[in-house]
Amino acid sequence: MSIDAINISKNFGHFPALNKVNLEIPSGELVALLGPSGSGKTTLLRIIAGLEFPDSGTVRFDGNDIGARSARDRRVGFVFQHYALFRHMTVFENIAFGLRVRPRASRPSRAQIRAKVQELLKLIQLENLADRYPSQLSGGQRQRVALARALAVEPSVLLLDEPFGALDAKVRLELRRWLRQLHDEIHITSVFVTHDQEEALEVADRVVVMNEGRIEQVGSPEDVYNHPASPFVYNFLGNVNLFHGRVEEDKTYIQESETGHVVYVRPHLLDIARLPNDGSHFRARVKHINSAGPLVKVEAIAEWGDPVRVELPQERFRSLQLMKNEEVFIIPKDVKVFPARKEMARAK
Amino acid sequence: MRQLKQKTILPGFGLALGFTILYLSLLVLIPLSATFLKASSLSWQQFSHIATSHRALASYKLSYGASAIAATINLFFGLIVSWVLVRYNFPGRRLFDSLVDLPFALPTAVAGIALTTIYSPNGWIGHLLSPLGVQSAYSRLGVVIALTFTGLPFVVRTVQPVLEDLDKEMEEAAASLGANRWQTITKVLLPAVMPAAVTGFSMAFARAVGEYGSVVFISGNMPLKTEITPLLIITKLEQYDYAGATAIAVVMLISSFVLLLAINLLQAWSGGRLKGAHGSELPEIVETGVAG
Amino acid sequence: MASITLPNPGVAVAGAAHATTERAWVRWTLIAIAVTFLGVFLFLPLAVVFSSALEKGFSVYLAALRESDAMSAIKLTLIAAGIAVPLNMFFGVTAAWAIGKFDFFGKSLLVTLIDLPFSVSPVVSGLIYVLIFGLQGLLGPWLAVHDIKIIFAVPGIVLATLFVTFPFVARELIPLVESQGTEEEEAALTLGASGFQTFWRVTLPNIKWGLLYGVILCNARAMGEFGAVSVVSGHIRGRTNTMPLHIEILYNEYQFAPAFAVASLLALLALATLLAKTFVEWKARQQSAELKP
Repeated sequence: MSIDAINISKNFGHFPALNKVNLEIPSGELVALLGPSGSGKTTLLRIIAGLEFPDSGTVRFDGNDIGARSARDRRVGFVFQHYALFRHMTVFENIAFGLRVRPRASRPSRAQIRAKVQELLKLIQLENLADRYPSQLSGGQRQRVALARALAVEPSVLLLDEPFGALDAKVRLELRRWLRQLHDEIHITSVFVTHDQEEALEVADRVVVMNEGRIEQVGSPEDVYNHPASPFVYNFLGNVNLFHGRVEEDKTYIQESETGHVVYVRPHLLDIARLPNDGSHFRARVKHINSAGPLVKVEAIAEWGDPVRVELPQERFRSLQLMKNEEVFIIPKDVKVFPARKEMARAK
Repeated sequence: MRQLKQKTILPGFGLALGFTILYLSLLVLIPLSATFLKASSLSWQQFSHIATSHRALASYKLSYGASAIAATINLFFGLIVSWVLVRYNFPGRRLFDSLVDLPFALPTAVAGIALTTIYSPNGWIGHLLSPLGVQSAYSRLGVVIALTFTGLPFVVRTVQPVLEDLDKEMEEAAASLGANRWQTITKVLLPAVMPAAVTGFSMAFARAVGEYGSVVFISGNMPLKTEITPLLIITKLEQYDYAGATAIAVVMLISSFVLLLAINLLQAWSGGRLKGAHGSELPEIVETGVAG
Repeated sequence: MASITLPNPGVAVAGAAHATTERAWVRWTLIAIAVTFLGVFLFLPLAVVFSSALEKGFSVYLAALRESDAMSAIKLTLIAAGIAVPLNMFFGVTAAWAIGKFDFFGKSLLVTLIDLPFSVSPVVSGLIYVLIFGLQGLLGPWLAVHDIKIIFAVPGIVLATLFVTFPFVARELIPLVESQGTEEEEAALTLGASGFQTFWRVTLPNIKWGLLYGVILCNARAMGEFGAVSVVSGHIRGRTNTMPLHIEILYNEYQFAPAFAVASLLALLALATLLAKTFVEWKARQQSAELKP
């Protein structure tokens, strides 16, 4: 089932959470709403679910306006950030809940409910925990139960609010992959909210980058990472170096003073050499080296005083045998230039 | 435009709120207003004549005075009791701890006759005191004793959770800085529990002022000497002096509301909601005195 | 350059042993004071109730309870509580839903108003109903014409009991419901539950201990109320006396053993209340400990 959000606006008091947001989600896709807190992503998700009401705008499922339908009637599966499991019910009862509260006429028989719950328990790999209570489960297990509970009612849309936010790093990674696999199996239109760009880039078919109630860019993970449409997107999706610059003809210049443009370079797209090359390069002095980890992080000061961060593969670093306080040349391999905005003032 | 209520998806708000307000008005607000309405039928002169009559003033002095003394006694002993219950272990501690709530659970009439029996001249304690010339029952002392019983749980139950939550590290820090035990207690611990203790004191006081059943048996009820204000109201009612009874009742109501306000402010000052006696998921059990 | 003197570790450790505990004699003195205070003020009254009740022997005790006026008093007490407690329980749950799950203007005022009966003296609580329903009250004449008796009759007693026990369940539940948030209810709604199903299957089980606690306290007060009921009752033996009033009558007639006999029933109720209270607190503590991740 496809989802369309058309011109959605929502204010909380004086706070503009969403500002004329438009979004199309084709059927069967796994979409990430990515952004910092306050960007409006959770609000948008809850509006789609029917847990909040927009001040203006419409939401359509498969082309039909569902604004009048309550959360109960929209048949969305919603997974809450803190799971919202029914604390007084066992895992089994939690998952069976949506089936048990169906009106008499359409309620499945006890045997059917049991079968469905068993099926889901198998899917989430928690078959022998059916009689446990949520308080007896780990965070990752609770999250899976919450997912199974949402899937039990066979929703046409699955909405997840920061599903892995409250878990530790390792569990988060596992569940991420598991969600991706699940989606590959059941192809249900899914939208999840996250502030973790790694998560969005790894899991989603499509990433929607949001900021301050607006959508900054929609695209595949590669798109938004390699071809960011705005400084915000560039900045949000990974580390970045910022410099003043200007563009003349097809050359980009980096200079000291304020100009109308900002030059963005990712740390791993900078190389370090002892000798200048023919193309772009500038001088810098190495200030700090952090060689723990897959990439070596070098902090340097450029010849005009700006700090520069470079990430080098271990091999390259070893072949250079860099030392502190050395003077080196930094060679940008790819840069992006955007018109200067307020970000510039903040970065300085 | 300010929103009166956030639009939410949980149903039943209108119905629930409507019933709540209806029930509240019928049972509480309208009857209370009726009292003020009736009192307003008196002229200001008449009202103050009744409210400040010799007998009324004597009753205020007794009710408020004895309540203050009883609350102070409870403040002092209450601090000791909560300290002992929280910090020490001794046989029967749990029993005593549960029993602290007895004044909340025991009907006031039962407490009243029990206390009178104990302190009357040939009662268990009375017979020890009368040779010393101390009359406990049928005297002002009796009133104070009864009000001490009534207010006993308040200070204990407000201070206990605060003591339980206190970090031992504070005391260790004080000690490592050179304070001896007495200094640690007076300069570190006591100030920390003072807001709760004062709140408990005020609640004990407020409760004692309106108390009837526990006191009316032991006091002897002599007008101008051992007549508490609630009894004065009843006496006037029995004489069909509705206006007089109402006037005194209004005085009591106003003082109750002022006290209620003061207590709420105190609670806000001492950091918000009080937890249940053992920090359980059941907050605010403290002021729920059941004795009538 | 100033030199820094560090405290001698040996001394600090020895000092620490005394740092957070009092000397033994201090401890035991405090315990003695506390135990004596509690013993005198709590144990003695309880003890005297039972010992006085049984002073004249067990048969006198039973006879006092079986006596017809006593039985009527017991019956009336049970009726008053039997009406007041369920009504106030229903009110408490409704108020907790409206106040705990929603945000609206005037919420804290409403909560303060609900607390009012707590701060009103019992005698005044009775008086206010006399002023409305009594012969000289606002509705007095109208009621007289229609021969409806409220004051000095059972309805008045029920009303006074309703008033004094009004806030008990509500003030237990309101903070509890508020602290539990709305996520589980939202989840239930997204899963297709109706409003009532959500309340019954999700909200109610979550508040059951708080509800029980409030009901226990409400009942104890309803059965034990004295001042308010005394004002509205008329003290007609066998008809408008509750147990506390009956105790008063017996005591004033110097029938001490019978008075304490009836009182002992209420004292037993008080002990049962304390027991139930302790149990529910324990259960609730267990529950909140489990919920911590």
